[in-house]
Amino acid sequence: MSAGAGESAYSFSLTTFSPSGKLVQIEHALAAVSQGTTSLGIKASNAIVIATEKRAPSPLVDDTALEKVSVICPNIGIVYSGMGPDFRVLIAKARKSAQAYWKIYGEYPPTRVLVQEIATVMQEATQSGGVRPFGVSLLVAGYDSARGPSLYQVDPSGSYFMWKASAIGKNMTNAKTFLEKRYNDDISLEDAIHTALLTLKEGFEGQMTEKTIEIGIIGTSTVGPVGGSGLKAPLFKKLTEAEIKDYLAL
Amino acid sequence: MLGLQPGSSTVVPTSAPVGHRFEPYDSNGGSIAAVCGKDFCIIASDTRQSTGYSIQTRYKPKVFRLNDKATLATNGFAADAEAMVSRIRQRLEWYRHSHGRSMPLHAIARMISTILYGKRFFPYYVYNILGGLDEEGKGAVYSFDPVGSYEREFCRAAGAAQSLIQPFLDNQIMFKNQHSTPEHTVPKPGEMSLPDVLKIVMDSFTSATERHIEVGDGLEMFVVRTPPSAQGEAIGAASVDLKAMGGVEAVGGEDEQEEGAVMVIRRELKKD
Amino acid sequence: MSDITTLNGGSCIAFKGKNCVAIACDLRLGNQALTVACNRDKVFKITDKTYLGMTGLASDVDTLRSAFRYRLNMYRMKEEREIEPETFAHLVSSTLYEKRFGPYFIEPIIAGLNSNNEPFIAAADLIGCLNFAKDFVVTGTASDKLFGMAEGLWEPDLGPEELFESISQALLGALERDALSGWGAIVRVITPDKVIERTLQSRQD
Repeated sequence: MSAGAGESAYSFSLTTFSPSGKLVQIEHALAAVSQGTTSLGIKASNAIVIATEKRAPSPLVDDTALEKVSVICPNIGIVYSGMGPDFRVLIAKARKSAQAYWKIYGEYPPTRVLVQEIATVMQEATQSGGVRPFGVSLLVAGYDSARGPSLYQVDPSGSYFMWKASAIGKNMTNAKTFLEKRYNDDISLEDAIHTALLTLKEGFEGQMTEKTIEIGIIGTSTVGPVGGSGLKAPLFKKLTEAEIKDYLAL
Repeated sequence: MLGLQPGSSTVVPTSAPVGHRFEPYDSNGGSIAAVCGKDFCIIASDTRQSTGYSIQTRYKPKVFRLNDKATLATNGFAADAEAMVSRIRQRLEWYRHSHGRSMPLHAIARMISTILYGKRFFPYYVYNILGGLDEEGKGAVYSFDPVGSYEREFCRAAGAAQSLIQPFLDNQIMFKNQHSTPEHTVPKPGEMSLPDVLKIVMDSFTSATERHIEVGDGLEMFVVRTPPSAQGEAIGAASVDLKAMGGVEAVGGEDEQEEGAVMVIRRELKKD
Repeated sequence: MSDITTLNGGSCIAFKGKNCVAIACDLRLGNQALTVACNRDKVFKITDKTYLGMTGLASDVDTLRSAFRYRLNMYRMKEEREIEPETFAHLVSSTLYEKRFGPYFIEPIIAGLNSNNEPFIAAADLIGCLNFAKDFVVTGTASDKLFGMAEGLWEPDLGPEELFESISQALLGALERDALSGWGAIVRVITPDKVIERTLQSRQD
C-alpha cells in the first residue's frame, strides 16, 4: 500500500484510524443513511410517535408487505433510515435480546436497556474483523415504568442519544429545523402525530398517502394487557392505513 | 454368530417365577390430637383414610369411646388400630366383670402400654392418644409410641400432620413463647375453657387440612366431661351446651353410659 | 442421613401484612446433629425494601449470595434504578433454573415492598419454580412446622407491630419442634419508611 494517498489509504480497513482521527467507513455508513428515506420521532407529554416515508422502488412492487416500523417487544418499536437488509438483521437481534431479557426478569426491557443492547451490536460492527458497519440509523420509541415514554436515536457508530424530537435520512436537516420550530414540551399525542405528518410533508416526494407513510405510537393512551399476566401497560402500536388516512384528512 | 443353525435349537424362557412378599404393614394417613382442660378432655381426629395417594374412605373414625371417662385416638395402620381397640375393649369388659367398676384412666394407660410392649417385636403400627378424666375428675391426656412408651400431658398431636399441629398447640395450649405483660397475664396450661379449646382444635385441623394431603374430609371431636346430670348445679365444662354445637352422644365401648359424659361434635373438612 | 439439603439446617418465613411485610429466620448453622455456629443470618438485603432469605446447603447459600450481588450490581448500573421485588423474584428463578440439572441446594423466599409500597412475597423451589403467595411463605428444615404455625396464626391486614408479633410466634413455635433450626432468630419488618430489625431470644438447644 502506498503512503500519502490521503484518506483513501485508510478507507478499506474498517478498524484503522486515518491520521485526522476518523474511521472513514463509519462516515461512509452515515452517508448511506443520509441517502435513505426520511424518518422522524417526536416525544409527546405522555407518548412517543415515530413516522417514516415508505417508498417502493418500482410501482410493480406489492407494497402491502413493506414494513419499516417494527415492533421489538410489546413496549418498544423501531423505525430506520438507510439500508433495509441491515435493519432486518438488527430487528432480529433486538427481538432476541428483548426475549432473553424477559426470560431472566419476567418483564420486557426498559427502552434504554434495549437501546444499549442494539448500540453494542452496532458498535461491534465498527471494531471487528471481516464486517462492515450497519448502514442504518434507528429511532427507538418505547415506554417503561422507570422512565415513561422515551425516544432514542442510534447511529452506525453505535452512539445513541435520547431526543425530544429527531429526524434521520435524506431530509433530516430540514426536518430537524422544522421540528425545532414546532416543538414544545407538552404537546399531546394527537398534536405530535400531526406535527410528524407536517414534518414528513416538508420535502416529501410525490403524494403523501396512507400507503406511502408508516406511523407507530406508544403511550398512556395505547394501554393493553402484556403477555399472559393480565397486567396492563402501554403497548407499541402501528397505525393502520385507515387510521393514517383519517389523520391525513384532518 | 448368533442365530439358529440347522440341527441346533435354543431354549428361550417365556416366563419366570414371580416372587410375592407379604407386607404386613400399611400407613393410612390422617391425624389425631387431644387437649385437656381442668374438668374435660377433647380427643379429635380427621376421618379420611388413605393409602399412598389413594383415598380409601372419607369417613373412618379413628377415635373410640372406651367408657364414660376414657376415649382413645389411634393413628397409623388402621387394621392394627382396629385389632388393638378390640383387645383393649375386651380387657376393659373383663375388668368390669371382676372389679364391678370401669377401669380408671391411669390404669387403662398402663394397660395399653403393656399391650403395646407385648408386641415389641411385631408391633401394632399405631400411635395412640388416650384422653379422658382421671380419678379426681381432672382432664388428662396420655400419649404413646407404637411400642408402649407413654407419658401424661396437657396436649398432644400425632399422625401425618403432627409436625403441623403440635407446634401450634405448644403455642396456643401450652402458651410457649408467650410472656405476661402488665396488661395481659398469660394463663397456665390446662386452664382454658371448653369452647376456647374446641376453637383451637378446629383451627388446628382446618390448618392441617389446608396444607396436608392426607388430612381432611371430616372432623370428629370427642368431649369427655363429668356429665351435667351428675352435678347438682352445672358448672365448668358441664355447663356448656354441646347439643347446641351439634354434639351427639358418643356410642361404642362399654354399654353402661351416662348421658352427656362422652359426646362427639362433627364438622366438615375440605375434601380436596 | 447424608441428605445435603438438611446437612446444615435452618429455616425462614415471610408474612405479608397491610402496607408492610415481615421476613424472619433462625440463626443456627449445623453439621448434621452438631451445632457449629449460632450467628448465621439467612436473610440478605437486596435493596432498601427487598430482602432475600435462603435456606439449605450453607455453601450454596454463600455462592448464590455473591451470584446475586454480582447480578444486582450489574442491574443497578445498567438500568440506573433499584430492582423491584417482583423482578428480583424472576431473577432468582432464572438464576436457579440455569442449574436445572445440577441445582444449588437452596430454597429461597423473597419479601419486599415495590415502588408503589405494595407488599410482595414469593418463594421458589431449588430449581426456581416460583410461588407468589398472598399470605405467607416458608422454607427450611422446619418448613412443615412453619406451615402449621403460619396457617393458624396468619391473618390478613396486620400492621407492622402485629405482623412482628405473629411472625415471631410462628417462627419460635416451629423452631422449638425442629432440632435442626433454632439458636436464636432475627425478624425484619419492612415498612414504607423504615425496616424494623429485631433479634429474638430463644432456647439454646
